[in-house]
Amino acid sequence: MRLFTFEKAGKPTIGLLRTPAAQEYIDLEIAGYEFCHDMVALLSQPDWRDSLDAILEEEPLQAIKPVANVKFLPLVQNPGKIICVGLNYADHAKEGGHAIPEHPSFFLRVNSSQIAHQQPMKVPKASAKLDYEAELAVVVGKQARHLTLDNALDCVAGYSCYNDGSVRDYQRKGTQWTLGKNFDATGSFGPWLVTKDELPPGGDGLKIQTRLNGQTLQDGNTSNFLFDVKTVLKIVSECMTLEPGDVIITGTPAGVGYARTPPIFMKAGDICEIEIEKIGVLLNTISNE
Amino acid sequence: MRLLRFKTPDGHPALGARIGDEVINLTELGCPGTLDELLRHGAAGMASAKAAIEKATKRLPLSSVQLLPPIHHPHKAFAIGLNYVDHAHEGNFTPPTQPVLFHRFPTSWVAHGVPIERPKASHEFDYEGEIVAIIGKAGKYITKEKALDHVAGYSIFNDGSIRDFQFRSSQWMWGKNFDRSGGFGPEFITADEVPAGMVGMNIETRLNGQVMQKANTRDMIFDVATLVVACSEGMELHPGDMIITGTPAGVGFARKPPVFMKAGDVCEVVVEGLGTLSNPIINEA
Repeated sequence: MRLFTFEKAGKPTIGLLRTPAAQEYIDLEIAGYEFCHDMVALLSQPDWRDSLDAILEEEPLQAIKPVANVKFLPLVQNPGKIICVGLNYADHAKEGGHAIPEHPSFFLRVNSSQIAHQQPMKVPKASAKLDYEAELAVVVGKQARHLTLDNALDCVAGYSCYNDGSVRDYQRKGTQWTLGKNFDATGSFGPWLVTKDELPPGGDGLKIQTRLNGQTLQDGNTSNFLFDVKTVLKIVSECMTLEPGDVIITGTPAGVGYARTPPIFMKAGDICEIEIEKIGVLLNTISNE
Repeated sequence: MRLLRFKTPDGHPALGARIGDEVINLTELGCPGTLDELLRHGAAGMASAKAAIEKATKRLPLSSVQLLPPIHHPHKAFAIGLNYVDHAHEGNFTPPTQPVLFHRFPTSWVAHGVPIERPKASHEFDYEGEIVAIIGKAGKYITKEKALDHVAGYSIFNDGSIRDFQFRSSQWMWGKNFDRSGGFGPEFITADEVPAGMVGMNIETRLNGQVMQKANTRDMIFDVATLVVACSEGMELHPGDMIITGTPAGVGFARKPPVFMKAGDVCEVVVEGLGTLSNPIINEA
């Protein structure tokens, strides 16, 4: 099952894709589903999956619309938390001159830094060093604290793509990366949530790529995580309660722009695509603030 | 004005104004239910709160209400690391030349009087007394001259930190976001009640009555105006956004021997002009 958030008459609405390659979706508002405007509210319903399966089966004809004209919104617009894992692929840690870490590093993004599939990502006035980072996003579907490796994946609703756009000079201004990771309109999230039943456990073994203007610049596989999804969930839930709609962005493989010789940064007119196998392509044009 | 968010004796959340030992329920008089929303209404919001205070005929005893954190759900809650030279030195850090930002989630703090929690995962639970500046007017690329116009007021924060987790990696976020590990309040004080930028105010943290941190905000490396500039570069600040401005020397982990908070302790942060934020410590259930 694939769910996405889109704008309809100025209001966020949730759509349900019928099949992975579907050209049509079911508008959950027209289909009469109560929690159709907010992904956090939808995922907070203990029976959301059963309700949506019933709607899929029913095929409400009046609610079926073409995907082609949809204006996407960030998959989860107002998650309680967006937690990012730094340096989670050995090759990426190495290209940035970091030692292979004993523990993961966590930072976070604020909601106001997020944009959606097909929306422009902004090169800020303050810097020309906007870089891409392809990441697998995990969306939480159930409240959880103190998870174990055995039960950690139970709290996952599904997976999506994230472009953790980073303003490199600001990221390195101090010891903490927060500043360079939270510029307005730099984090792209979507296009849709793929429920976990359609993917290998923990999103393991998926190819993950970045293409900038068609050129492949990152080409990794989630099987090379230093800390896999269940380990990250266990560690994060030791610290805080995970809630439905919380997002964990799992880190990027090697090939980022700033570590290249010569460095590559994104500029107005570029097109950046993040593709994760079995999930899809997250596409953004780049424009100036 | 001194505004606070509270639960009425019958359990409804409301916005209030404190006058001495009494509280006026502003929400009952037509004001919004949260400070976040009042701040979004800008000058008109503040004028409506003033007008409500003037026409109020009914007051509740402060002791009869349960306080909630002043801000309900900020877009951003930035915290500033190493903003006092002596605190940077006690942790063996070089004082920064640019403000160092990390972030706290609202799930990581509780109101004045509510217990803060030492987690199961660690006993290295440390206090950090700080002032917090709260944004009242949206802005991006704010200049230093205009910066304080964007600050609606101030409050007190205990930036409770789980030290072993904070220093497990280069990124401190992990040790700064344990559930209910920080304190925030007791109330919001409008900027006109205190010196511009809260400059020259004494700040003290006491653990079970013993003074552990004692400093003055004039010793901040980056003053409030500079922090507003730094936090608005490329990021639009919104009404209700928080800048938690950093802690002075005297934290527990840097003491010899180290001092950490444990169940039964009481931690107070006392800031001149802003009041006292007090939280008992309990173990995570």
